[in-house]
Amino acid sequence: MKGFKRLSLIMAFVLMIGVLAGCGSKNTASTSEQELASGNKQSDSSSASDTNKVIEITMLNSKGEIQAQLEEAAKAFTEENPNIKLDIVVAEAGQSPFEKISVMYAAGNAPALAMLDPVDIPNLADKFLDLSNEKWIADAANNSLDNVTLDGKVMAFPFAVEGAGFIYNKAILDQAGVDPTAIKTTKDLEDAFNKVKAAGFEALAISPMDWSLAGHFLPISYATQSSNFADVNKFLNNLKAGSVDLKANKPFNGLMDTFDMMKQYNMYKNDPLAATYESNQQAMGSGEVGFWFMGNWTWPQIYEFAQVNEGFGFMPVPISNNPDDYGNTGIPVGVTKYIGIDKVNNSEEQQAAAKQFLEWLVYSEKGQDMIVNKANIIPAFNNITLEPQDPLAKSIKEYMASGKTIQFMTTMPADHWAEVGASMQKYLSDMIDRNTLIEEIETYWKNAK
Amino acid sequence: MNREKSFIKKLSTYLVFAGPATFAFITVIILPFLFGIYLTFTDWNGISSTHSFIGFKNYLSVFQDKTFFNSFLLTIKYVFFTVILTNIVAFLLAFILTSGVKGQNLFRSGFFTPNLIGGVLLGYIWQFIFSNVLVYIGNNFNLPIFSSSWLSNPDKAFWAMVIVGVWQYSGYMMIIYISGLMNVPKDIIEAASIDGAGGFRRLINVTLPMMVPSFTVCIFLSLQRTFMVYDVNLALTKGGPFKSTELISMTVYNKAFLSQDYGVGQAQAFFLFLIVATITLVQVYFSKKMEVEA
Repeated sequence: MKGFKRLSLIMAFVLMIGVLAGCGSKNTASTSEQELASGNKQSDSSSASDTNKVIEITMLNSKGEIQAQLEEAAKAFTEENPNIKLDIVVAEAGQSPFEKISVMYAAGNAPALAMLDPVDIPNLADKFLDLSNEKWIADAANNSLDNVTLDGKVMAFPFAVEGAGFIYNKAILDQAGVDPTAIKTTKDLEDAFNKVKAAGFEALAISPMDWSLAGHFLPISYATQSSNFADVNKFLNNLKAGSVDLKANKPFNGLMDTFDMMKQYNMYKNDPLAATYESNQQAMGSGEVGFWFMGNWTWPQIYEFAQVNEGFGFMPVPISNNPDDYGNTGIPVGVTKYIGIDKVNNSEEQQAAAKQFLEWLVYSEKGQDMIVNKANIIPAFNNITLEPQDPLAKSIKEYMASGKTIQFMTTMPADHWAEVGASMQKYLSDMIDRNTLIEEIETYWKNAK
Repeated sequence: MNREKSFIKKLSTYLVFAGPATFAFITVIILPFLFGIYLTFTDWNGISSTHSFIGFKNYLSVFQDKTFFNSFLLTIKYVFFTVILTNIVAFLLAFILTSGVKGQNLFRSGFFTPNLIGGVLLGYIWQFIFSNVLVYIGNNFNLPIFSSSWLSNPDKAFWAMVIVGVWQYSGYMMIIYISGLMNVPKDIIEAASIDGAGGFRRLINVTLPMMVPSFTVCIFLSLQRTFMVYDVNLALTKGGPFKSTELISMTVYNKAFLSQDYGVGQAQAFFLFLIVATITLVQVYFSKKMEVEA
């Protein structure tokens, strides 16, 4: 009996060892896989000439709407460079790209290429490769590298230029007898709204999402403080220090006056917070509403309803009744996504492959075609001469060409859109008055990191 | 000597049978938990290679944070209503479905189904119902209560979350109550009937006391689940309108990952852990005391 007991104990022990060994062998398998993926660091020099070896790299995509196009681009890239395999990982909707990348870093499995918001780049400065000597630096558009140049080093690749403003439906405006290029003041805008209404259409759609209200609309009041970028940054620092009196601030109050007027013409006036991004897209694309405050990233969805690549354009948000004031003729345009290359978890070969992909995007015919025509991205490079097909991107390019742009605020604290967005939503639904709004905005900035 | 031997023997037996599980538990639960507590004393932002030790500063900012406090109160309110309503609904369903109505097996699985749907999906389905279906009905049949989306009004959005929470959990709790009801010994019920107790009296004085273990389990499960709810919150309201329905888990998440304040977020999470652990342990302790034996 005792012998049986001991035997069973030994059996159980052996089983346990088996289980552990099973885990163990799996682990070694995965590490060897990783080594493969990282391009066999040790055998670097010996196999450099070996063309059969495939370097695998991954890219984190934080623009979910172009995932399919990027995958296609990766495939095309691999066709031309058979020794590099590129995988695209997407940061799911509702997940912040910063969270995704912090998880990937925590797992020691960071992507070679990471597409991130401008505000995230400084946080990763010690993990990203210095790209100052890349070929594309010379062709990058003016100011497109400012936000990611730290201590004189360029830390990321400007991927997408985006702009925001009032999107208008040309057909409706023609019918109402409105010329969007002639609208330069808040008063002009109100007249235009009235005319559109008289023609039997809804005048305006205001999207109640926090990221739109405080990520894109309210920052216009920051950007219009001065035409000088440095002064705008100074203004933000003063906000943090608590030395700005928004109550007496002209651009801020001007923008809010316009917003008050906009609220009166909002097609969702009765229940402003119930509108959804999707319902806005539908209203705009199917020709129910004349104006909508949004950015060019929404074009694919408008297109689904409109089915033509024309008939829409951008118009600035006026902030005063003086047509000559700064900001009344310009729309916010800026680089909103950057791509950085990791140097911590990726081998030198992988880094080189990542660099090669960026270069391919800028200089190869296929890469340019992918960016401009397939993904509807406005590139930040002067050498790309392809004309965008979608009317919103075209409109932004016109504003850029004529210099009528204001700064697209992308370096605000990462939670600005969510925190101040809640205040803006309250203001939109008349839960609070302007004084309370100002108080909440000022409090946010004082506590911001 | 003999004692020592028996200890070693016990230990080896333990290691053989529970070793792997203990190993897994320590590596994936205990160590991260301790490391998390360590992080509450640092100013780490979630990604940088360096962080410095800052003492109790994070805890101080947790207690000074009005948003966190409001969200905590809201969560208490949410837990209170959801736990009570879930258990009432679940018990009633269980009671009806053990009384021998036709097709009760079909109903049982029907009410259990919501529990099988993932929280995010379920949140989106209800979002569609609240902001499209009900509004459509309200506008066409002149029902002012549905004429505007429930999700755009802070109070109604709160109740929308309670409704979805109750709908999601009551099926699961119902199953536990059903098993509790079926385990009440028939002889006691019969004895009570012979003594002249009516249906209602039998329920209050015999069935309910015999079912206290089920209540202990159900209230514990619903407490713990509602305190930690995140997915439905995210998919249904995203904390909106204007952060008025942001439950505690979402606040913690946003602090850690959106505001990139990992230390403070971790401190909030630890505080939340203490609260939930205390409440559930107290609840289990007192419910256990109420249990009776037949």
